[in-house]
Amino acid sequence: MTPRRAIVVVAAAAILALAGCKATPPSAFETWVVTAAKHHVFVGNRSQQNPFPATPEVIAEGKEAFSHYCVACHGLDGQNTGVPFVGHISPPIPSLASPDVQRYADGQLKWVIDNGIWPSGMPGSKGTLSDEEIWTIVAFLRHLPPAGSQGEPEMYPH
Amino acid sequence: MVYGAAPEAQPRRIEITAKRFSFDPGELTLKRGEPVVLVLKSVDVAHGLRFRELGVDVKVGKGAESEVEFTPGKTGDFVGHCSVFCGGGHGSMKLTLHVVE
Repeated sequence: MTPRRAIVVVAAAAILALAGCKATPPSAFETWVVTAAKHHVFVGNRSQQNPFPATPEVIAEGKEAFSHYCVACHGLDGQNTGVPFVGHISPPIPSLASPDVQRYADGQLKWVIDNGIWPSGMPGSKGTLSDEEIWTIVAFLRHLPPAGSQGEPEMYPH
Repeated sequence: MVYGAAPEAQPRRIEITAKRFSFDPGELTLKRGEPVVLVLKSVDVAHGLRFRELGVDVKVGKGAESEVEFTPGKTGDFVGHCSVFCGGGHGSMKLTLHVVE
């Protein structure tokens, strides 16, 4: 067994041991283990660079692409504003402005949007959004507007 | 039309049908420097066709038709994507353009 494979197996076993079927908020220890496992083991593509520079046009395109699909759970601001179930889902939906999300490399954010994060609620968007759109979303995520500044997603009554 | 002027060749018109989630044809070959009109027809929802590297973006409404004239300025293979979000397979809706000398 290669060292990397061993790490994957150990991390997977640790997560399985911690996984419950009940939707209660994860403990601080669970969150720490899972966050570390995601950053260092499961979420790949760390070295791929965003082919687009973060110009105002690219960020605006990313915001537009984000508005079709991502806003249902992440809100227009990427910080969960106006998402009605945000307090009732476990693991919780992170604020995309949070350090745990922002610490991912651009390539990892692309990977997460492409593939999703099983078994959280985060679905993969490969095929639903083009590579170009996903990279513009990554640029948008690095330049999120202030929390609450964008109103609430149209899909929810308000 | 300016009367009395020498008749100019009209740019070639190329019809492209857009439907969820493909373009027909899915591939096109054009000559560099030769002006063309891309006629985009939607047979269902709103779509678009964008070649980012060529600065071409044409959008079409539900069941409508729309066109853009352009002259490919560089050779190579370019992948155009649907530029109006149209549902679950939107990201896989592509048209490959070959521009040759």
